[in-house]
Amino acid sequence: MIIKRIVFILLMLFMHYSFSQNKQILFGFNDIPQSTLINPSTTLDNDWFMGFPLLSQFHFNLGSSNVSAYDLFADDGKDFNSKLRSLIFQLDSNDFFTSTQQLEVFTGGFSFGRGVEKDRYLTFGMYIETDVIAYHPKDYAILAYEGNASNIGKVFDLSDLNASGEMVSVFHVGMTKKLNSKFTIGGRAKIYNSIINVNSTKNRGSFVTREGQNNLLEHSFDLDLRVNTSGIASLAGDNSNDVSEDIKTLRRRLLLGGNLGLGLDFGITYQPKDQWTVEASLQDFGFIRHTKDIETYGVKGNYVFEGINPLFPEVAGGQTAEDYWNEVADNFEDIFELDTTVTKYTTWRPLKFNAAVRYAFGKKTSKECNCLADDVGYLNSVGAQLYAINRPRAPQLALTTYYYRRIFEGLRVKATYTIDPFSYYNVGLGISTQLGALHMYLMADNLLDYQNLAKAQSASLQFGLNLVFGRGGKQ
Amino acid sequence: MDINWLAMQRRTYFPLFILVIISLATSCVKDVDFDQAEDVVLTPVITSSALFTEVEASRFSENGMELETVRDSIANIEIFTDQFVIDNLVKVELVFEVSNSINRTFGLQIEFLNEADELQNEFSFDALPSPSGNDVLTEFTAVFEDESLEALKTSQKMVITLSLYPSTDGTFLNENSTGKIGLKSKGLFYFNISL
Repeated sequence: MIIKRIVFILLMLFMHYSFSQNKQILFGFNDIPQSTLINPSTTLDNDWFMGFPLLSQFHFNLGSSNVSAYDLFADDGKDFNSKLRSLIFQLDSNDFFTSTQQLEVFTGGFSFGRGVEKDRYLTFGMYIETDVIAYHPKDYAILAYEGNASNIGKVFDLSDLNASGEMVSVFHVGMTKKLNSKFTIGGRAKIYNSIINVNSTKNRGSFVTREGQNNLLEHSFDLDLRVNTSGIASLAGDNSNDVSEDIKTLRRRLLLGGNLGLGLDFGITYQPKDQWTVEASLQDFGFIRHTKDIETYGVKGNYVFEGINPLFPEVAGGQTAEDYWNEVADNFEDIFELDTTVTKYTTWRPLKFNAAVRYAFGKKTSKECNCLADDVGYLNSVGAQLYAINRPRAPQLALTTYYYRRIFEGLRVKATYTIDPFSYYNVGLGISTQLGALHMYLMADNLLDYQNLAKAQSASLQFGLNLVFGRGGKQ
Repeated sequence: MDINWLAMQRRTYFPLFILVIISLATSCVKDVDFDQAEDVVLTPVITSSALFTEVEASRFSENGMELETVRDSIANIEIFTDQFVIDNLVKVELVFEVSNSINRTFGLQIEFLNEADELQNEFSFDALPSPSGNDVLTEFTAVFEDESLEALKTSQKMVITLSLYPSTDGTFLNENSTGKIGLKSKGLFYFNISL
């Protein structure tokens, strides 16, 4: 069973790229310290906190647009190959598979500054993120599935190969500052440490077989393909099959031993009235410069092949068929030869934008005095959120509405409804609980699909443990 | 804080909380059979241009003598003996199209030899003459399956022979003969790839 699940995950990864990084439940959930990672202007409801090392945030997301594992693997007696075939044709090259995983290694934060409520909050930490996106390589799949014989005249677009994967550790420190009763701003500086990067997102070219002029067919190759890698060459080149050695190498790289980059998050929260809040943030405005342990593989060139000609040197020209054949073989070798170069390159982090409008309502009344209970704020809020992420082909968007409720002091929940490229009925639920200083949270989306995950086009899960002190946490 | 209120709230929401936990814990992947992935069979048909040439009738005359046969060969053909091809190639069709505007019958013979120059497979066909001087098309397809395909998979050399059959009226082609013979060809390679 475990093996099957792994196969399932690998297949999803292999086949495509996704929408992964939307954390619509966490965004604005200010009972949870990790919400400041999405918007650094989010004001936390505590004086200080500390995440349990390695347990403070685990996030996992898997998604694919327009297809679920069920579409392909349903035990429905239909011929698997015909299902695969219809899938290859039904998806287009903008469909994608994606996976993101985040593990927080450590985190903490505290408020400081003027006033009883303290006007500033500093947060810091380190997390490891793995991110993979792969678009459906449609024309390659058609070529592999059907060949070119039934596709005379069809131009196979080689830019359909578009995928990237990265493992990066991120060190960050951020600050939230309340400017006045209406405005709060925040920023976060990040150092990215790329452990592994593979990307092939700027491929160009085509392959086409046409009716020929001089021969029955004519094949045109126009290739400009490239794969950039960093952090791979030394693993592949150490001539050892010892995986534990490779893991040791990777572990050494976690602490700034990889390729470095810089990034910034910005956020602003505007509260025009007591019950209304508008907020927006930009995350991961940054880059990584790959200079160490890099290897770029490229294939480039043009060639038109009509066949072997001439034949019969006595009657049709001086060259023998064999001479020509050798020439053809050389030409093919030239164009398909894999150029391995060491070229420094820069990757941009996937820029994310979050925005929300929130309306809070319903103060709790106390039975004893029939008056409003003191300083616990509103019990409910509703709102709309917009999420966008920049991806290799095009930005991806998601729209969320939510309802948030403080059920009692130790339990707050947020229910979300999201429309995104994966589905129109993504219902999510997040729970934040507190027992003394021990704070726990758990969130998952696509709950309607949890009874059969195979039918889900995406699923995400997030949980963590923190120690939280002061203010909201005290009560 | 009102204890009763809290207790009531707990009673109301606790089951909901448990329900969510249970639904997460019991989530599963149902009615799917990932073993199906083992049944994936790719059946691409690759087509490729092959030999082509065009010869004027006058070229078959050399010093007043008619050339009876011309021959050419290609060695170092490694595609048929490639391991991937040996494992997955299930059928080959070689398609020839000859257009002949010379009033003579030509025979085309193709032989496949292994590394030791031993004959593995051969086929031949005749291209019809053109009494009128217009192009006469002859099409021929050689199909390789089973035994003939196995023979092809041991071949590394191809010999192509074009024969000019004697005329029925005793005439010979000379430097002033008109017309030409053109050959076009392609290969169709049928694969059956089990992943």
